[in-house]
Amino acid sequence: MRSRAIRVSSSRWRLVALSALLLLLAGCDDGGGSGSTIASGPSTPTPVNNTQAIQVNPGPANEDIDVAFTSVTICAPGTATCQTIPNIEIDTGSIGLRLIASQVTISLPQVSDGTGNRLGNCTVFADNSYLWGPLSMADVHMAGEKASGVPIQLLGDASFASVPNSCNSGGTDDDSIAVLGANGILGIGLFRQDCGPSCVTSTSPNLYFSCPGANCTGTTVPLASQLQNPVWMFPQDNNGFLMTLPAIGATGQASVSGSLIFGIGTQSNNALNGAQVYTADNTGAFSVTFNGTVYSGSFIDSGSNGIFFLDGQTLGISECTDNPGFYCPNATQSYSVITTGTNGAAGTVAFNVANADTLFATGNSAFNNLGGSNGQSFDLGLPFFFGRNVFIGIEGQTTPGGTGPYWAY
Amino acid sequence: MRKIRVLSLLVCLCSAPAWAALGEPIESVETDRRALDGEIRSSALQGYTLHEITRPDGTIVREFASPAGIVFAVSWQGPAMPNLSQLLGKYFPQFQQAARASVRRRGPVVVHSATLVVESGGHMRGFHGRAYISSHMPGNVTQEVVK
Repeated sequence: MRSRAIRVSSSRWRLVALSALLLLLAGCDDGGGSGSTIASGPSTPTPVNNTQAIQVNPGPANEDIDVAFTSVTICAPGTATCQTIPNIEIDTGSIGLRLIASQVTISLPQVSDGTGNRLGNCTVFADNSYLWGPLSMADVHMAGEKASGVPIQLLGDASFASVPNSCNSGGTDDDSIAVLGANGILGIGLFRQDCGPSCVTSTSPNLYFSCPGANCTGTTVPLASQLQNPVWMFPQDNNGFLMTLPAIGATGQASVSGSLIFGIGTQSNNALNGAQVYTADNTGAFSVTFNGTVYSGSFIDSGSNGIFFLDGQTLGISECTDNPGFYCPNATQSYSVITTGTNGAAGTVAFNVANADTLFATGNSAFNNLGGSNGQSFDLGLPFFFGRNVFIGIEGQTTPGGTGPYWAY
Repeated sequence: MRKIRVLSLLVCLCSAPAWAALGEPIESVETDRRALDGEIRSSALQGYTLHEITRPDGTIVREFASPAGIVFAVSWQGPAMPNLSQLLGKYFPQFQQAARASVRRRGPVVVHSATLVVESGGHMRGFHGRAYISSHMPGNVTQEVVK
C-alpha cells in the first residue's frame, strides 16, 4: 500500500481512482472501531484469489513441446462483455498480451496515437519470426485479479494495415494458431512494458507504428499506450508472481499442471520463503558461470522450450539430426552451473540433458531435460521451471525481496 | 534537409550493393549505418578494423573488416532485433533455413556450418548475436573477438 500511491502514474486515472477507493475503504476498516484487531503493518485490500491454473501440454496445434498455457478472460473495458480464451502461452521472456485476432469475438476499442491513427506493434524474436498487429484496449482477468484498460495486441488481423518493411525482415509471421502453436501469448516478464522509455523518445526500436490506413510509419509511444505486463496493473498482488510446476520424471509427462500465483509476499501462498533473489540488469539478464567461464546476457524464459547453451562440439555431445538445434547425447548428461544476479547473489543450478530424439519419441509434451545449442549465453527455458518455485519481481515494484527486476528461486 | 537526404540515397543506390554487410566490401558498413540510423565509430585493431554503429535506442551493431576490405563478421546487442536480412546479406537465407528447420524449437537460432557461424539469441529488451565467415577471417584473428 505504501508504494502504490507512488507507483501509479498520473496518466492512468482509472488505477488512481481505484487505488484511492481502496485506500478509502481500508481507512474505513482501520478506523472502524474494531478494537480487537491490532494493525501489524500497512493495511491491505481484501485478498482475492491469486492462483491461476496453468498446464504444459501439446497446445491447440497439438505439437508443442515444453510450452505452458493458461486461460485469460478479456472484457470490453468497464463492461461485462467478456470472453475467456484458452491455450495462451505463458512467456516470461516478453511483455504484453497478444491474441490471435480470429479468437477474439468481442468488440474492443482501438488504441490510437496522438493524431488519432491506430497503433500497430511489431515484435521480432531472436529466431527472426515476428508478430504484427494493431493495439486494442481490454480489461484482463486472471484468477480473481483484474487489470483495467490494458493495451493488448491482435495478431493476424486481416482488416489491419499490412506489415511494414522495417518489421518484416524476411522472417516467419507468427500470426496463426498453426504457426504460433497457441491462441496467443501472455508476456509477463521482468518489465512493465514491452519497450519502455526508449520507445517514448525514439522510433528506432521499430516496435510501434502509426497506421492511418494501409501503410504505417514508425512512431514514438507514451508508456501508458505500450503493451503492458497485466500483472503490474492489478490493484493488488501486482509486484510480481510465482510460477510453479511440479517435478517430473526423466521420460517426461503427457501434461503437467501448475500455477501462476500473483504477488510476492502479498498473501499466505506467495512468500519468498528463503528463495534467493537474483536481480537482473536493465536488459533482463544475469550471468551464468559454466566450467569457469562467465556467460553474461543469460536469462530465464518460460517461452524458450529448452535449456539452450553452448554447442555440441564444445560440450562433446551430439546435436540431433532429426530435430536440429536440440542435443542428442548417447547418455543423459548432468550439468551444474552457477547463476549470479547483478546483486552478487550466486547459487548453483543443476540440470540434465537427455537425448531429444528419444524424448520426442515418447509422445510426451513436458520434459525437464531438453537441451539445445545457443550462442554466447545461457537461455534457461521451461525445463528449468519443473520442480522449482520461480518468482519474477517486476521492475520498479517493491517486494519483501527488494525491488524488481529479479528472479528468485 | 530533405533534398540532401534524397541525394544521398541516390548516391547510395548507385554505389553500394543492395545488401550489407557480411561478406561485402567495407563500403557496405555505411549502408548499414544509414539503414540503422546510427552513429559510427571506427577503430583499427590488431589484424582488423572495427566499425561500431550505435542506434538511438542503444542497439550496438559491430562490423569487423579484414585488411582485404571484406566484412568478415558482424555482431549485435540491444533492446530490439536488428534487421538480420540487412546485416547478414547474402548469408541470410542460410540463417532462415536453420530457423525454419527446427520446427519444434522455441529459442535462439544457431548456424554452425564449415563456412558460416550465426548465433542469434536473447529476449525482448535484450537481444544479442553474432555471425562470421570462417574463410574471410584474417589469419591472426580468432572468433573470440567477434562479440
